[in-house]
Amino acid sequence: MDRVIETHRLSKVYRRGVYALRDVSLQIDKGEFVFLTGPSGAGKSTLLRLLLCEERPSDGRLTVSGRNLDELRPREVQAYRRTIGFVFQDFKLIPRMTVLENVSFVLRVLGLSSVQQRRRTFQVLKWVGLQHRMNAYPQDLSGGEQQRIAIARALVNDPALVLADEPTGNLDPDLSLEIMNLFREINARGTTVLVATHDRELIRQVGRRAISLDQGHVTEVM
Amino acid sequence: MGALAYSLEQALLSLWRGRGASLLSIATITLALFVLGAFLLVTLNVQRLVGAWRGSAELSIYLQDEATPAERTAVEHLLDASPFVAAHDYVSKSQAEKRFAALFPDLAGLSGEPAGNPFPASIEVRLRSGPGTEGAVDALAGRLRAAAGVSDVRYDRRWIDRLVTLAGIVGAVGLLLVTVLSVAGALSVAIVVRLALFARRDEVEIMRLVGAPLSYIRGPFVTEGLLHGGVGALIAIGLLLAGLVAVRAEYGLAVQAALGLAPIWLLPLRLCGLVVVGGMVVGGIGGLVAAWSSR
Repeated sequence: MDRVIETHRLSKVYRRGVYALRDVSLQIDKGEFVFLTGPSGAGKSTLLRLLLCEERPSDGRLTVSGRNLDELRPREVQAYRRTIGFVFQDFKLIPRMTVLENVSFVLRVLGLSSVQQRRRTFQVLKWVGLQHRMNAYPQDLSGGEQQRIAIARALVNDPALVLADEPTGNLDPDLSLEIMNLFREINARGTTVLVATHDRELIRQVGRRAISLDQGHVTEVM
Repeated sequence: MGALAYSLEQALLSLWRGRGASLLSIATITLALFVLGAFLLVTLNVQRLVGAWRGSAELSIYLQDEATPAERTAVEHLLDASPFVAAHDYVSKSQAEKRFAALFPDLAGLSGEPAGNPFPASIEVRLRSGPGTEGAVDALAGRLRAAAGVSDVRYDRRWIDRLVTLAGIVGAVGLLLVTVLSVAGALSVAIVVRLALFARRDEVEIMRLVGAPLSYIRGPFVTEGLLHGGVGALIAIGLLLAGLVAVRAEYGLAVQAALGLAPIWLLPLRLCGLVVVGGMVVGGIGGLVAAWSSR
């Protein structure tokens, strides 16, 4: 099995010696769907921020598809980010851009022609069921719709790895399950998915491997 | 190419959205470049004037009204003997009067005073330039002053040199002023672009997180600075042109007549281009300083 994410004794220490992660070692293989769970402050978001290169590890090793993220230079960080899809709890859509522009922007920076951008964006919006809202602005959409747009943006460049930080944190249970089904579909196509959530009921419903964190330590692997 | 088009599109949008604040930085750059342009304009025209005067009579020998032809010939022999004299022309009293009437038609009537023609006859001397000219011509001027029939000798080069020195001082002061104003211009662009960046900080963060290349993140802000500078420079050139047209219309003929100069020049196209490039550089530096803070 190809390894997509691998951490070895990974630690992140903030000022005053507070450990957000301590000696975390875990592996996620290609094509897996894994939940990262634990209470608030367990270190889930810190691990995702390290995976997105928003922060650097204090100690240990973090590799994605064999690349040591700690060694990436700023330009390489941006190129690396373009190879993964990230879904945020607060959606992070650009308010002054339409749905179409929010999603196609990723393709624009990849240098695709406007025809290719439109075609691919339409496909992915159709997949999340929002092709009819492509000219709307994010603020005109419901929370569930905004999150589906964020998922469409994360998928539009066909990444091999999708990371999601509490993607259902702002949604009701029915919408949460709907969003999780989208992640299941993404995974069924062979994409590796890592979702951070504290919602144990949702994990039970989806029924995939879960790694529990508590106070920066891995406490359980289900 | 994609980043360039994106940067331009976003910079124009940002300029329009923040037009109030943008006007301030554009005005600062306009002021800096207007001053630069004005100093360049003055320096250029002074250089041209000096060049024209240097090429014309540099030593004028005024003869007494009662000077005899023999005394005039003696003066001309003195000139012919000097290796520093390139040419000399005799201007009679009546020629001097006609020249005055041509230059100042409104005042032409004054010369027809009952007392007669007030203009002295003169010999206009063109000098050769070269090492040691100044000292040798000083000595020659001294001998000419002492010659019979000579009432006065004016050695023009000295005050031309003074004019050149003065123009140099004015140019240095201008350069200092332009440097200070350029720094102020760059700072004001940096502040305005920083404001635009602050207003769009969420957007910039999202762009970073989705992996937008740095050229897409910083490009719009640097381009915005370049546009501030470019627009400021074009306005400055426009104002200079308008000012020049107004000055020419009001005083052009008088200046032309007094200085014996063809119409005042505007900056040559190449210098105008340099002013625009200079403005864009100042604005671009301001934009770059602001954009650099967007990690």
